Amino acid sequence: MTIPTRSVHCLAPRRRRERLFAAALLFPCFAFVAVFAFYPIIHSLYLSLYRIILGLPGLSQPFVYLENYRQLWGDAVARHALANTFLFVAVSTTCEMLLGLAMALVINRSFRGRGLIRAAVLIPWAIPTVVASQMWRFINNDHYGLLNFLLYGSDLASYQAWLADPTFAMAAVVVADIWKTSAFAALIILAGLQTIPDELYEAARLDGATAWQRFTRITLPLIKPALLIALLFRTMDAFRVFDLVFVMTQGGPADATNVLQFYGYKKMFAEGLLGYGATISVLVFLIILALSLVYVRFLGREIMEERP
Amino acid sequence: MRRRRRRGRREAPMDRISSRYPEGFRPGRTAAVFLVLLVLCLSFAGCGQEAKKANGQILRFYTWKPNQPEVWEEIVRIFEAEHPGVKVWREIGPHSSTSFHDLLTQKLKNRSKYLDVFLMDVVWTAEFAAAGWALALDDRFPRTEQSRYFANVIQANTYGGKIYGVPLYIDTGMLYYRKDLLAKHRLTPPKTWPELVRQAGIITAGEPDIYGFSAQFKQYEGLICNMMEFILANRGRLIHPETGKAALADQPAREAVQFVRNQIIGKTAPAGILAYEEPESLALFVQGKAVFHRNWPYAWEAANDPSRSRVAGKVGIAPLPAFPGGASRAALGGWQLGISRYSENKELAWKFIAFLSSPRIQKLLALKASLAPTRKDIYDDRDILAVCPQFREMKRAFVSAAPRPVSPLYPALSNVMQRYFSRALSGAAADINRESLAVAAEMEQLLTLAP
Repeated sequence: MTIPTRSVHCLAPRRRRERLFAAALLFPCFAFVAVFAFYPIIHSLYLSLYRIILGLPGLSQPFVYLENYRQLWGDAVARHALANTFLFVAVSTTCEMLLGLAMALVINRSFRGRGLIRAAVLIPWAIPTVVASQMWRFINNDHYGLLNFLLYGSDLASYQAWLADPTFAMAAVVVADIWKTSAFAALIILAGLQTIPDELYEAARLDGATAWQRFTRITLPLIKPALLIALLFRTMDAFRVFDLVFVMTQGGPADATNVLQFYGYKKMFAEGLLGYGATISVLVFLIILALSLVYVRFLGREIMEERP
Repeated sequence: MRRRRRRGRREAPMDRISSRYPEGFRPGRTAAVFLVLLVLCLSFAGCGQEAKKANGQILRFYTWKPNQPEVWEEIVRIFEAEHPGVKVWREIGPHSSTSFHDLLTQKLKNRSKYLDVFLMDVVWTAEFAAAGWALALDDRFPRTEQSRYFANVIQANTYGGKIYGVPLYIDTGMLYYRKDLLAKHRLTPPKTWPELVRQAGIITAGEPDIYGFSAQFKQYEGLICNMMEFILANRGRLIHPETGKAALADQPAREAVQFVRNQIIGKTAPAGILAYEEPESLALFVQGKAVFHRNWPYAWEAANDPSRSRVAGKVGIAPLPAFPGGASRAALGGWQLGISRYSENKELAWKFIAFLSSPRIQKLLALKASLAPTRKDIYDDRDILAVCPQFREMKRAFVSAAPRPVSPLYPALSNVMQRYFSRALSGAAADINRESLAVAAEMEQLLTLAP
């Protein structure tokens, strides 16, 4: 921040007081972020350079430079987990955006009972993920699950063990995520929709624009910032998927639902490989950081263009 | 005109909300109120801790949700009655051994002093001892006392010549079968796995909606136990005891895995078994939907309880089958009692452990919860055998039960093996020869870290 030199002199006492006050107000926030975000990140970076194995304290904690990263590079399980994670992010985010847009368009219209529908749409999002995951685990159960009942009714012989099949298990986790978080995308997109003045539609209608034209020429361009924000949040959130996998499948069967975060958790908490687990966390952090940088640049430009 | 009115109504609440803040909202005062509330909360929380301590001693026991909660409540009540002023706080962890391990080690890693006694799975001794989490119990649990227990269980609780846990009960894989269905077809309990598959085929052909076999094949610790039993029964090994080298790529081990994939999963057993832990597999059996069932001894009580089981009274028990030319060897399981090295109540913790592992409590657990005692002489007790005749059959399996590999890196080894077994069993495309070489190499790498 640069302040023109001539104004500093006359405004100094008041300015300084105000800036002190601002700093005081900002301090708690900054301290919070420092303790709960920066410190863990730095500490993970630090841990990732050591070989720390809880079960072998005799090894002490040798500094191994980038050995953990080298090992991660050659780790086929990690590569598989990375591919699973990207697959999960791509499919779930795409579906959530489309479904969220559809939901937002519906609840943006005025009709009787809209308040009720708006509240109902948010319910899945308000349920704790662990509870929702457990529910989906039951729904997918091979003997008393709702899914089998809906598909096959009383034809017990056709009942499928969804979570025991590598392909379906991944699909089940993705569906659970879509069910749970589409509402979040809908909420943000709805906020964008609310900012569009009705006059625009009225004018378009007078000019003879069809519903599709009104949607593509007015609605979509105007809610683009909201869409991008929703996309940013959903991508980052989907990348950190852990609880669904933890409850529904524990990464199985045959690692088909093993995502990076869960693999890191396993290494760190189950196997006690603190250094290697931290390396995986750092990788996840770097990927999310890169993603968000791309989005934020993109997003920043969009908003600048839309709001001159 | 109508449109406008409607729009006006929609925006009204927004205006009300935004205009409310400037009038009533005084940031300074609000902040002060919050601060006072926060301080109050904190001081009350502090008081709570103090008050509880002043009342007497608290013993913190980390345990899982038991299958018979009422029995554990009774046991804790007896202990509290005999030790006035002592309160036992049971902290209930997850049912799955793997998840239980993750939470327990989390507390130990943090050197929590709010943890005195914990349950230990039989495979954790090496890790807990090497990491310095479990207290060595040699002065309190001398050799003479140890000799009253099954030797293999004591061995599993020993690491580097010291003992770290007192065995509470012993577990081994057992074969449960439907007496009525076998009798109907004039069959005797199978001695080999191929025979089990054949018998299951005969029985399920005539019964609607019933599977041949139910066991635990989800990607978790139980998968290791189940697969180890198949591998040992074919004279294979997970790790060679003499050379310390991984043995999963050897022919007997590969054959056993191949057999499970080709004959059990999706054939004799439902494909859903790949997502089963103990509760799901037992549910199938007690609902009368499985002819054979592999489980730990506790399943006897559950399967014969008419309020929970449709097959009560129709259940038989036998040692697990072997392969032709091999011998039946069940996986050694069971739970031990350990003391946290960071406990501030070590004496009281030991009293609690001595109480839980005493003959009378082991008997009580055997009679009421069907948990198999670790003390050998209880198996000669007439009261016990009168109520639990199944123990006579089980004892033979207990004595020969095989421990899983002993290593401070066991959790890592286990995850590597779980991954391999799960891949080999659930993917028809997986090449077992190649995968088994890969898993053996991966295990070697871990084993060189911790010989």
